[in-house]
Amino acid sequence: MSEQSVIKSKIMIDMVNKNPIEDGAVIFENGLITLSGHYEKIKNKIKFNAKIYDYNDSVLIPGMVDCHTHHNGFGDGRSGDSIGGMEDNILSIKSAKNAKTSLFSGVTTIRENGPKNLTMMKLRDAVNQGLAIAPRMVLPGRPIAIIGGHMGYFGGEVTGPVESLALARQLIKEGVDYFKITATGGSTATSFPLRPSFSQKELDAVTNEAKNYGLLTATHCLSMEGIDNSLNAGVDMIIHCNFDNEKGESKFNEKLAEKIAKKGAFVNPTLHVGRARLWNLAIGKNPSLGGGENKKRLSSSIRSDRKDILEARLDAAKLSLENKLDHCRQMIDMGLKVITGSDSSWGDYSLGNTFHETELLVESGYSNYEGLKSVTINAAMALGLGDTAGSIAKGKSADFAILKSNPLDDIKNLSSVEEVFLMGQHIDRGSDESNKTYSQIKPAQF
Amino acid sequence: MTNENNNLLVIKIGQLIDGISKSVKKDISIVINGNQIVDVKPSGELDIPENLNYKLLDYSDKTALPGLVDSHVHLTGIGDGRTGDELVTLSDEILSINMANNARVHLQSGVTTVRDCGAKNNTAFHLRQAVEMGIAESPRLVLSGRPLAIIGGHLGYFGEEITGEDECRAAVRYLVKQGADFIKVTATGGSTRTSFPLRPSFSQQELNVIAEEAHKFGKHVAAHCASSEAMKRVLNAGIDTIIHGVFKEVDGTNKYREDIAELIAEKGAYVNPTIGAASLKIKTMESKKENGNFTEQDQEELDSINREQEHRLECFNKLINLGVPMSAGSDSAWGQYKMGNYFEEIEAHVKGGQSPIDAIMSATNIASKSCWIDDNLGSIETGKLADILIVKEDPTKQIENLRTVVDVIKDGQLIDRQSLL
Repeated sequence: MSEQSVIKSKIMIDMVNKNPIEDGAVIFENGLITLSGHYEKIKNKIKFNAKIYDYNDSVLIPGMVDCHTHHNGFGDGRSGDSIGGMEDNILSIKSAKNAKTSLFSGVTTIRENGPKNLTMMKLRDAVNQGLAIAPRMVLPGRPIAIIGGHMGYFGGEVTGPVESLALARQLIKEGVDYFKITATGGSTATSFPLRPSFSQKELDAVTNEAKNYGLLTATHCLSMEGIDNSLNAGVDMIIHCNFDNEKGESKFNEKLAEKIAKKGAFVNPTLHVGRARLWNLAIGKNPSLGGGENKKRLSSSIRSDRKDILEARLDAAKLSLENKLDHCRQMIDMGLKVITGSDSSWGDYSLGNTFHETELLVESGYSNYEGLKSVTINAAMALGLGDTAGSIAKGKSADFAILKSNPLDDIKNLSSVEEVFLMGQHIDRGSDESNKTYSQIKPAQF
Repeated sequence: MTNENNNLLVIKIGQLIDGISKSVKKDISIVINGNQIVDVKPSGELDIPENLNYKLLDYSDKTALPGLVDSHVHLTGIGDGRTGDELVTLSDEILSINMANNARVHLQSGVTTVRDCGAKNNTAFHLRQAVEMGIAESPRLVLSGRPLAIIGGHLGYFGEEITGEDECRAAVRYLVKQGADFIKVTATGGSTRTSFPLRPSFSQQELNVIAEEAHKFGKHVAAHCASSEAMKRVLNAGIDTIIHGVFKEVDGTNKYREDIAELIAEKGAYVNPTIGAASLKIKTMESKKENGNFTEQDQEELDSINREQEHRLECFNKLINLGVPMSAGSDSAWGQYKMGNYFEEIEAHVKGGQSPIDAIMSATNIASKSCWIDDNLGSIETGKLADILIVKEDPTKQIENLRTVVDVIKDGQLIDRQSLL
């Protein structure tokens, strides 16, 4: 028996109409939206026995879509290498908790970017068994990496086009939704962030197989050659998209950006993960190592609390963030498809705070409305879920976040989540106190 | 109280059930420093120096008792009726997620310590690690890891099927190495499809070795006994807790065995009777009957459960009259018994003949003794860890009042009972 439900709001931002709809309402049934619009205009379609959720003081938006999460992660500065060394059972417990955090924070769709072994596939099994709740999950299984490459510790190290193809097929067999490839090194201690990892042929082997099965691909790129290789291979999303050369000089490259535009690839710049590290450096917490820092082979001294070392790290982190923001601004100006993908809980960025990333996209030039698009409809399109999620429109999944304050006034209001709906289900978020435990707050000096 | 470390919490309570005394004390204040109780005295005699800051929790119209100790749980269970054989087809990762959820639910219901009587492979130890890492909320864990079983024996599917004295010794050593706090052994078959509940499983020699080796490391042993013959063996082996303790002959007839009962009393073993699950099942079926939706088959099932339960409660009554210490333990989330409902078990103890205060003792002080943790837990006394349960109504008047939980304090910290994280 299907039950009709209705949400009434003060303001509905449906991400279809450019202007918010006052007294907006949405009707849904069987988890799908059947009608939305001004309450007065649609109220005659409401059945007498419909369940009414009256949020007349609040703002209704589509559930957020975060294109880049790490549900295995802690977001407390610990390294990926240390997470890679943890037991799968423990990472599963952490992932289940993180998934609730994501959902309670108003994120109803996530794309996972690097879990260990089968941990996230098992979380999906647990959800299907009714033993866990989670947002809609777009899963890569584990990232595809070269030997010693970034996130190779999660269980997907391969060499050569044949092994790459075999892993791609294995992942398809396991039920993954897309392929994540690390096209350069990263924070992984044994990897080289300024160098490409896979050869062109290896990348092609994976992207061809992806196309064969209608799957999307995304590559981790901390330097330009990796971006270029990825674009040649027809990758659908460039992650991080650092314009660094192999010497570590960071300078925006318009030609490469044009190539991204021409290829139509989405860009997930991951700005806040660097800012979160900066915050922790500034307040004297022991933050994660930056992309290049691990390569300095200073692992003992770099963790030291010597003032000069800390200051040098702080300066480097500031510069890196400034560069990222500047490059992101130029990409936005050029009209590249830049979307929100938080990269939490990686490094110092803890899950449940996706809005921090969107906030920095707004700082880089998006209007509040464009920022909102980047974490709803545009993010959904980047994941191939444009028909399912990201806006309040007939036929889409009834995924909503109810906000206390309007994100069009201030994008940070995305954090004022009061209620969440996923596939038509009202989510019990537990106590308000418990929902404060995951919020990451800007230190006073910033 | 002269402690410079200013981390004081004072809990003012209307009534105190301290887990030691059988009488209820009025208007008491419990002083906690960090995670430890440093003073318990009448509120009128409270003498905290004025210049000392402290946090006050005022429960002047409520009752406090020691945080509950559930001496028999299976955090791995789901409690939706599926059998253990079905449960173990789930992967360790899924079971780990389920265990973490169950741990949180049980804690929020007022249970601050659990003795976990068996989980698959390393999942129990991994849960402990997760708790220590701060990524899971849980009662204190007294763990067995994997239960010892004979090949095909009860709970053998959790990963520790062994044969012969050497393998028994090795299994105990390995579990202790992994961090087991006690050894669980299935001395008869049980619900496990390939096992024989009416027959003893391990030989006397095997049981002797298990008990000897566990005791060598200061660990206790709890033995699952679904029939009488095995109880004799485990008692002779010197095992510390008898679980279920069902008086049943090899041919399946229910028969209270005075000789065995006296041996239990003589050896000073604890009995964990696990009588709440049947009690809960009877309630569920009776309410189904009231709703009219009851088949002949249902009636037969209800009659059979009632008959068994009557026998169990009779034996329970005889054992308490012999002075056998009853350690309450729910056995949830096994079978259909979901976590967070320990009070069902404690209420069944009252049905079996214990007074409400005795049943509360069974679920606090006696349970902590049977778990070998009574040095620190199981009562509200100076020096003990600050695990305290606050209930609205006095459970010594009516045991069902245990359901009126207001707050749960573990390690001197108030638990967020509504958190779902």
